[in-house]
Amino acid sequence: MSLRRQITTLVRFELRDELRGGEVALVVIPFAVIALLTIPMAIGIDTPLLERIGPGIYWSIVMLFGVLVTQRHSSLAPAAARDMLRLSGVDPAARFVATTLATFLLLLGFEVGAGLATVILYDPSLSSWWWLAALLPLTAAGLAMIGTIGGNLVAGLEGRTSLAPLIVVPIAVPLLLGAAQATEGLRVGAGILRWVLLLAVVDTVLALAGVLTARPLEESAT
Amino acid sequence: MRARPLDLAAIGTLATAFIAGLVVPPDAVQGDLQRIMYVHVPSAWLAYLSFTVTLVGSVVYLRVRSLRWDRLAGASAEVGVVFTGLALATGMIWGKPIWGVWWTWDARLVLTAVMFFVYLGYLALRRSFDDPEIRAHRSSVLGVVAALQIPIVHFSVTWWRGLHQPPTILRPDNPQIDTPLLFALLMAVAAFTVVFAALVSRRVELTAAEDAARRPDDTDATAGSAISAPIVGGATS
Amino acid sequence: MTSPTVSLRSIGVRKPGALILRSIDLDLPAGSATALFGSNGSGKTTLLRVVATLLRPSSGSGTVLGAALGSAEMDSVRRRIGLIGHEPALYPNLTLAENAELAASIALGRPARSEAHHALEQVGLAAAADRRASRCSNGMRRRVEFARMLIIAPDLLLLDEAHVGLDPEAWGLVSHLISNVTARGGSALVVAHEEERVRPLVDRTATLVDGVLAGNQS
Repeated sequence: MSLRRQITTLVRFELRDELRGGEVALVVIPFAVIALLTIPMAIGIDTPLLERIGPGIYWSIVMLFGVLVTQRHSSLAPAAARDMLRLSGVDPAARFVATTLATFLLLLGFEVGAGLATVILYDPSLSSWWWLAALLPLTAAGLAMIGTIGGNLVAGLEGRTSLAPLIVVPIAVPLLLGAAQATEGLRVGAGILRWVLLLAVVDTVLALAGVLTARPLEESAT
Repeated sequence: MRARPLDLAAIGTLATAFIAGLVVPPDAVQGDLQRIMYVHVPSAWLAYLSFTVTLVGSVVYLRVRSLRWDRLAGASAEVGVVFTGLALATGMIWGKPIWGVWWTWDARLVLTAVMFFVYLGYLALRRSFDDPEIRAHRSSVLGVVAALQIPIVHFSVTWWRGLHQPPTILRPDNPQIDTPLLFALLMAVAAFTVVFAALVSRRVELTAAEDAARRPDDTDATAGSAISAPIVGGATS
Repeated sequence: MTSPTVSLRSIGVRKPGALILRSIDLDLPAGSATALFGSNGSGKTTLLRVVATLLRPSSGSGTVLGAALGSAEMDSVRRRIGLIGHEPALYPNLTLAENAELAASIALGRPARSEAHHALEQVGLAAAADRRASRCSNGMRRRVEFARMLIIAPDLLLLDEAHVGLDPEAWGLVSHLISNVTARGGSALVVAHEEERVRPLVDRTATLVDGVLAGNQS
């Protein structure tokens, strides 16, 4: 089976499993919206301030709650299903790419959902909105890759739900800085090319790391 | 426990550095407060050194699959986290009287804090495994991925701070430093490095002993012997 | 005589705190079905996972389907191994048909919806094909695994207590799967602790006691 077909088959079924379970749409997105709602309650309703900090808060929420998207149930195939895929000759790298792709698409949906809530609640003003078409996917891709690597690192461990965020979030710091500084640049009308390039470099490094470490991680299955 | 040459060297150089740090004249501007530099700067140096050693240990483990290298990576990260914490703590203690705040968003400080948490996660992962082989496989993957991110974190944080205002306050490693102070600082760096080597080598031995204690020999229990025939019906006599 | 499907020599598996297997010699001759008995925790599943090439033994050597354990050829023989473990390998929110289709497509390397459907019919699940796996009984989920085995037609069939809780009809399926494999010249290894029910399905038995293979008679 060609690698590409393995990947598309896995992505298709993994996404179907997730969409039917509805963990991202019905649990993670609402949770993120509650967070966006509580922050003004905690810091006070100062409309110009909220307008200014809205994008930054949005990106922190994307990073922190995005970890939940990456560690969702359907990204961690049951141990028996992992054995089945391994015996079916699915390349570990193909599994990494497939899970990352599925997570990427879900994260993109999550970003759009949380983004709409941010626009409604904080009313941020950005000069060139179309840049978001690059920023959202670049950030989602990076977070998806870190999350997939992190998920494989903690697979099968008892404390994995608390361990995964501690591993994923510090490594995702450049993504947050890149995305947040780029939107800040859009807000004040400054150049953002270098932040977009930073995100692209992060994604490239992670893609290499993910593909190269897929096999050692599979060999360490418990 | 027998003292080894490395341990003795660590104690000796540390004592020398301690005395040197006390006898050199105080800083012209900051006075005695500046002496905290003799702990802060070497600790920060060890943070970088230790995480580099962890990277090397992880990469070599993935190539040769020998647990020695994984133990080196783990020991170095553990000692490194302690010194990174020390660098952060001394930085804050030093910063409070000078800057008036415990924490400042200096690029280097932020980078150090991020590294601290990256490797805290690394150690938390290591602790989660019973099986040394699985621990080695997975933590060396994280060791490599984490290390790849460090330079990127460095650049992103530097750019982030550069965007606002370049910090013009006195840097902990102010290059305009008097010769005796520089000597004391170099002494301290050397001493901390030897201490690091001694601690890591002890920790490697300890991990090896822990792994050996978990690894059964032929006299140990085999599978199944943990379960004995159940006693039902209450006929115990 | 053809070479055995599986041949293990002095296999040992260590885990922290216990020696799970020690010096296991096991041959699965081509065309044979072997039952592996043993009490809870005797190391049966561990041995099965070594045979399935999913667990690298701490010591010893062996070949599975002609490839040496731990060698690079292992990747190419894996797809000829069919394993049904304790837990069914199903995605909970996919229907039985989708689960079978996923397994079939991955195994055959092309879209295989009709094969999946046909196999589900053969195991008597045609009516339940559109039910989600999470809403099906354990016995039904097992039957999906049997359907998967019909599709991939393995040369080495490994069943880990796969017969537990099956009705007589499903027992017939297990027996059918085993005879399919042996008729093709492959081998089957059935891990079980209920000797009486499994004995009629196999022609050889072996017993694991405390990580040591005690009986290996035909």
